[in-house]
Amino acid sequence: MTEESTSGRVSRRKFLAATGSVGAVGLAGCTQSGAGGSDGGTDGDGLSGTIDIAGSSTVFPLATAMSERFQEQHSGVNINIQSTGSGGGFANHFCPGRTDFNNASRPIQPSEEETCSGNGVTPVELTVATDALTVIVNNEMDIDCITVEELRQIWAAEDPPSTWSEVNSDWPDQPLDLYGPTDASGTYDYFIEAILGEEGPGHRQDYSATEQDRTIIQGVEGSENAMGYLGFAYYSQNQGRVKALGVDDGSGCVEPSLETARAGEYTPLSRPLFTYAKQESLAEEHVAEFARFWLENATNQDIVAEEVGYVPLSDADQQAAMDALETAIENAEG
Amino acid sequence: MSTDDLQRDLTRRTENAPQELLTRSFFFLCAVLSIVTTVSIIIMLTTEAAKFFSVTAPLMGIEGPTASVVDFLTGTEWVINNEQFGVLPLVSATLAITIGSAVVALPLGVATAIYLSEYASSRAQRVLKPALEVLAGVPTVVYGFFAVVYITPAFRTIIPGLGTFNMLSASIVVGIMIIPMVASISEDAMSAVPDSLRQAGYGMGATKFDVSVGIVVPASLSGIFSSFILALSRAIGETMAVTVAAGTQANLINPLNPVDYLEGALPMTAAMVNLLTGDITGGGVAYRSLFAIGLTLFIITLVMNVISDLVAQRYREEY
Amino acid sequence: MATQDERIEGFGHVSRTVGTVFRYLLLAATLFGIVALTILLIYVANDAIQPLTADPGWHLTFFLTLVVPTLAVGGYLLWTDSPAFRFGASVVGMLAVSTMFAGGAAMIFVDIVPPVVWFGYVLALGIALAGVVALERLDRRLPFLARFAGAGAIIVASLGLVPGFVQSLPVYPTDGIMLTVSLGGPVALVVGRYAAFEMGRRGTTLAVLAALAAVGVGELLGPLLAVGAVPATVLLAVAVVPTAGYAAGHVRRFPTHRSGLALTATILGGALVGAVAVDALGFAGPQSWVDWGFLTSAHSGTAADAGLYPAIGGSILLMVTVAALSFPLGVGAAVYLEEYAPDNRFTRFIDVNISNLAGVPSVVYGLLGLGVFVTYLGQPTGTVLIGGATLALLILPIVIISAREALRGVPDSMREASYGMGATRWQTIKNVVLPRAFPGILTGTILALGRAIGETAPLIMIGAPNVLFSLPTGLSSKVSAMPLQVYAWASLFASEPFYQAAVPAGVVVLLIVLLSMNSVAIVLRNKYQTDQ
Repeated sequence: MTEESTSGRVSRRKFLAATGSVGAVGLAGCTQSGAGGSDGGTDGDGLSGTIDIAGSSTVFPLATAMSERFQEQHSGVNINIQSTGSGGGFANHFCPGRTDFNNASRPIQPSEEETCSGNGVTPVELTVATDALTVIVNNEMDIDCITVEELRQIWAAEDPPSTWSEVNSDWPDQPLDLYGPTDASGTYDYFIEAILGEEGPGHRQDYSATEQDRTIIQGVEGSENAMGYLGFAYYSQNQGRVKALGVDDGSGCVEPSLETARAGEYTPLSRPLFTYAKQESLAEEHVAEFARFWLENATNQDIVAEEVGYVPLSDADQQAAMDALETAIENAEG
Repeated sequence: MSTDDLQRDLTRRTENAPQELLTRSFFFLCAVLSIVTTVSIIIMLTTEAAKFFSVTAPLMGIEGPTASVVDFLTGTEWVINNEQFGVLPLVSATLAITIGSAVVALPLGVATAIYLSEYASSRAQRVLKPALEVLAGVPTVVYGFFAVVYITPAFRTIIPGLGTFNMLSASIVVGIMIIPMVASISEDAMSAVPDSLRQAGYGMGATKFDVSVGIVVPASLSGIFSSFILALSRAIGETMAVTVAAGTQANLINPLNPVDYLEGALPMTAAMVNLLTGDITGGGVAYRSLFAIGLTLFIITLVMNVISDLVAQRYREEY
Repeated sequence: MATQDERIEGFGHVSRTVGTVFRYLLLAATLFGIVALTILLIYVANDAIQPLTADPGWHLTFFLTLVVPTLAVGGYLLWTDSPAFRFGASVVGMLAVSTMFAGGAAMIFVDIVPPVVWFGYVLALGIALAGVVALERLDRRLPFLARFAGAGAIIVASLGLVPGFVQSLPVYPTDGIMLTVSLGGPVALVVGRYAAFEMGRRGTTLAVLAALAAVGVGELLGPLLAVGAVPATVLLAVAVVPTAGYAAGHVRRFPTHRSGLALTATILGGALVGAVAVDALGFAGPQSWVDWGFLTSAHSGTAADAGLYPAIGGSILLMVTVAALSFPLGVGAAVYLEEYAPDNRFTRFIDVNISNLAGVPSVVYGLLGLGVFVTYLGQPTGTVLIGGATLALLILPIVIISAREALRGVPDSMREASYGMGATRWQTIKNVVLPRAFPGILTGTILALGRAIGETAPLIMIGAPNVLFSLPTGLSSKVSAMPLQVYAWASLFASEPFYQAAVPAGVVVLLIVLLSMNSVAIVLRNKYQTDQ
């Protein structure tokens, strides 16, 4: 029996010696200094923290582009962005104090300001870009210009026309095929405000509404008698597929473009885009730095216009916004 | 002596030892958690929906705009910014998805079940059953993506006027998604039919077709029916596939008219997602409408599940 | 008599056409969904991986080095020794799936949990377990409650003090060594014991040490291969060592299956040779959107640069939270309902309740999370904890139902035998019922977790961010998930570049993860069904 038990097995002493030496070598030869030796974390300047952003789906791509670039330079800062809509952002996230920035495609309303101050949140309004609303028709449609009055007639809920010729006798006698954003969109609200008027008859409901701007492009592109409206951002990425109409606000036909919007000529369909910073958050260095970064890049053609498709701020507007920001930062820290 | 009685007798003496009591109460609490969940769902939905409806809002201390129950249940316009909260367009869209997916899933599911239980060899079963489970395991967002990117363009070659968002593609993918549910529950019911019935049929000279369709299916009808109801309740509650594929405009459509399926519409679940992600101006009342729709949805699926249970119990053949 | 013959002749034939047509109709119906899904999967894989953009030479090389040998060897094996073929294929499958999980684990240890912290917690757990076992030895001398309180105190003290102490040490072993001990240690224990079949105690210990040493090699190998010690160690511990151990153990148990390893070698060798060959011959591979960059970069405005990294990390953390919450609670409820509950109306009420909850739409669970966790309890929106809790509530009914099925599958005779020997109810459950039902419970939990990974709506409801640039670092960081990120790309960034590049790639990655999890569950279930 003793022979069987030792054949093919390792003697106990040798076994312990082998294990012990391996273990000792392993532990002794491979050590590192403790307390933060291996975790890197902040490279560069050591900015760290979290920034929470919510709000308008229109400003969302701009906020994302800015955050992406900021993070490349300061990898210790975590930025997360949610698209909730301007109103939803104010009501559910910003005014309860949960987010540091709220993006908005319209100015903050007095009732929202009240709610915010009731929770100890001070909003700081910063203009970050200009958006131009574009009216598009099919490439085959033989129209280049439309007046504000004609737009109002086509899109109003009162006596909505069903053919093009009902609005302007020069136009073809074809049915109107309309595409636009849904009533949940800031673009929709802006269109009502700019063309139909807040006190007016309201937006007609018998059109193809969609949350996705690419569908508006697709719809207008595919139908000869189609008209649609959408943000300049998406139109500018698909310029060959549809035709943009110039808008006549009484002083001649103005085509939508970066230049006309920035110069303020393309009225009434250009609007400012905002982000509202929480003044209390600006006391934290990473939040303030991010706000400064955003405003510094607000005139950058590549980011704002080429990548996202909005109109960059003019230098004067940028200076005004930066002054407002610096004041707010001082108030926060002081 | 049933097993339960036996177990009780054998363990009675040690029942009150501390570790027994401790473990028993831990497990009991786990089971009670499910009741707590249901109660929380009901309480939360009813209190928030109560803040939404005019009749009950004053009780909850809400003074802002509200909606009347009658308008909610019978109104035909769902326009949030105009504060029109008629739920009928949403319900019609949900019905359309349900009917459309039923047309796809119910026949195919029952046929699959018959094949698996009557005709398939065990080797084929070993391959087909996991394949069906894979069908059920694909995330619903992916189904929505398939509908928009592959199915709609494919249909557009036959039906040129098809919009990007339409109920047709959405109901087809939801149907494909619920086939496994119908198939597996029906197949369980069919397997439970005792072989003696089948043998009796063969003994009388019936063919396999006669036995399957004439004996097995009627015998397992309660299980098949309850599988229908469960699968349809899943179709009603399906969110992401329809959010991505069915569109965002709350049209009132006629679920029985096939032409209406070529448009987009807004089912209840998609409306809820849109409420949280779209640009809404009226923060309060719109947010609360979320819970009103949620309550409606919860009640519908609850009623359907209870009916399915009752049908299975009441009409189940005891062998 | 003549009339009888006439009557028998008049019987005629029974037509079989209806039956055959019916049979093929049924088969077509069964295959409809599967075929439709397969076609869609092929489409999306084509869009994401774009195999047709590769050089013909690339295709030819891999055809010659990988496809042809595999078909030859595989065909031969299938024809002569089918179980060996299955073994060889299963080794390859296990390697593939475990490599995927190793990738996820590497991500955790590189970016989320520093190895020091993990080491500290594993050490704490080990000390706590040792303490509890020691307490159990004092069975006779202390009453149960005292032992229970003591065990609780040891666990709490250990988990509270030891990790902090470890992290404050001025010198500790390198990351690789720590991972070897804390991650490789448990793995080596399991693998070594499986591999050392019938080798005696010394042999088993040797096998365990060999496995541990294999994992430890990663510390040296990593820097050599420019991969880093931590990923190398994790890869060895999660993928290579378990697969090798499984292969070794299986071969020891079934020596005739050894020839299956030829298939494994052909596939792995062919892939390696093919990769080297295309590199040397300079053939361009497909311009796949699913590449290393996609898996390791964060979101970007440029579709070609956008990646899934934070979403993958978020999904992993969410899954860990969901599993930690739903597994104990679900199995606990199932145990109560199957083992303890008397057959009265209250139990029936809980039954009905659970089956109703299983049918509640996922949006309503999202509302529950929003209403209770966020609004009522005032928690921040979109964090790992809230997301995990909501998803856990969602899959809890499914876990309960499948655990009950598994528990019901344990024959009553086993329970009665245990009671007959004088065991208490808890002892029976712990020693007899649960071990036997464990594979079924595990399968059900994996399938439920697979469902939870694919859920988007509850996360949207509780306010998970649409865009996240960095990995979540703890329970209260904001979290994104893979389906949520794909949804954000498909709806908020809905432009042509995204629909062409990022969205199909994201869908393919999501599908691969889900299909692997489902196949693991199915394989487990098949194995344990045939065992029993």
